[in-house]
Amino acid sequence: MKVRFALIVALFFTVFPAFANTDRQVDLDWPQIIAFATHHTDYSGTFVYQHDGLMETARITHISDQNGEHEKFESLDGPRREFIRNNNEVWWYLGDHKAVQIERQYSGKSFPALLPEQLTALNENYLIHTAEQARIAGFDTQAIVFQPKDTLRYTHKMWAHRDSGLLLKAAVMDERKQMVEQYTFIQLKIGGDFERTSIMPIQPTASLEQQSQFSKLSETSAQASTINWKVVAVPPGFKKIMEMRRPLHGKKTDVIHFVFSDGLAGISVFIENLGNNFDKKLGLSSRGAIHVYSKVKDDYLVTVVGEVPPRTVMQVADSVRYRRP
Amino acid sequence: MKQEISALMDGELFEDDAEAVLDKLKRNPDTHEEWRTYHLIGDILRQPDHVHVNLSIAIRERLQAEPTVLAPSSRAINNGRWFALSAAASIMALSLVAWLSVQVGSESAPQLAMQQPSAVHSASLPSNGFEDYVIAHQEFSPRLDVYGMTSYVHTVARHQKVEQP
Repeated sequence: MKVRFALIVALFFTVFPAFANTDRQVDLDWPQIIAFATHHTDYSGTFVYQHDGLMETARITHISDQNGEHEKFESLDGPRREFIRNNNEVWWYLGDHKAVQIERQYSGKSFPALLPEQLTALNENYLIHTAEQARIAGFDTQAIVFQPKDTLRYTHKMWAHRDSGLLLKAAVMDERKQMVEQYTFIQLKIGGDFERTSIMPIQPTASLEQQSQFSKLSETSAQASTINWKVVAVPPGFKKIMEMRRPLHGKKTDVIHFVFSDGLAGISVFIENLGNNFDKKLGLSSRGAIHVYSKVKDDYLVTVVGEVPPRTVMQVADSVRYRRP
Repeated sequence: MKQEISALMDGELFEDDAEAVLDKLKRNPDTHEEWRTYHLIGDILRQPDHVHVNLSIAIRERLQAEPTVLAPSSRAINNGRWFALSAAASIMALSLVAWLSVQVGSESAPQLAMQQPSAVHSASLPSNGFEDYVIAHQEFSPRLDVYGMTSYVHTVARHQKVEQP
């Protein structure tokens, strides 16, 4: 154990200078601390989410124990909606405990913190620097700004609790410094005991059927079927982190799903047969920093989702090409 | 004047008289309305089906050109507005029928009819699968690593804005 720890420390000091040499001194340990705290802290609180001139409140409870991560996320305004996560399984409830959907993390990734590649990508695409210190929901926080090096992505500003590293406030801004979305905890309890039963999923009746539908596909067959598709104009700095053919809720046939990452923002490309989608509304839909853009390409429906400006999702959608085998 | 226009259209006037009536028509804009009215009456008498089809197409086109109205946010407002809209729609439908049966020639009928029903229709459109794609996306987004489950707020949020490209 001691040896392993020493190894990690040694690795840290050999890898870290590589980041420090470029551009200017950046605080790459802050994203790492935030990511670690997000997944390893027990907390429960209420936050306010502002987007598109609207304001909503939601409650989140997160517990990390020997069995992994358990989270519950519920809306406090309007119709009842909640998510419950147990490690990499997510239940989505609509209305009164009707489990409508289960999403599974196909990658099975549950890395405790950011991977080295992700830190490198962050460093390449954003200037990360610390800003002011502020008091939020009664806690002392440090603000960290992720300033993009181009206008294809948003500026992210995060306020992290100085003791635990937990994110207490976050804002996304466009290139004109206009707020796209923001969330702020207004009440938060960090650590201590939480009622665990409240966070455990109520076994949904439809779960068995849906779970089998969402079972993982073998990597090889998943890759082979995406091979004829190519996204030509991936914005600089975005790297493909996943591609597969997968089932999607509400679709009769599988869809092709690509994911690109720049370390902080993600872009998903979905490609499916036009067959059942005649009534599909094309064009751009937005919610806060998330934009969804759908267009028809030959006999296929291409849908791009991302936490990037509308221009970027549209550019990606326009660059999807099919190569005949 | 009305009789003269009618006679002119039926080809019952001599050349000189016809010229005189046309002259009057040119000088007096008020008579243009009558001129159109008589033509419409004539069209309907000759080809009633054709005229009606044209009317409904025009109405439909105007309806489709109406801007989309999104679902109102609160139920209380909703009910009041739906009631008002459906009442307005009914009244307009009635007035259209009455108008057509009494005064076939009026051109303002289609304009009256086009006003509200499309708003009622588009308010009940489904949400476009927005959530399904966003949920599938957010599981893989690097944002989840940093922000944790707060990034689920996008699918829990109530409201949705739809923009045309």
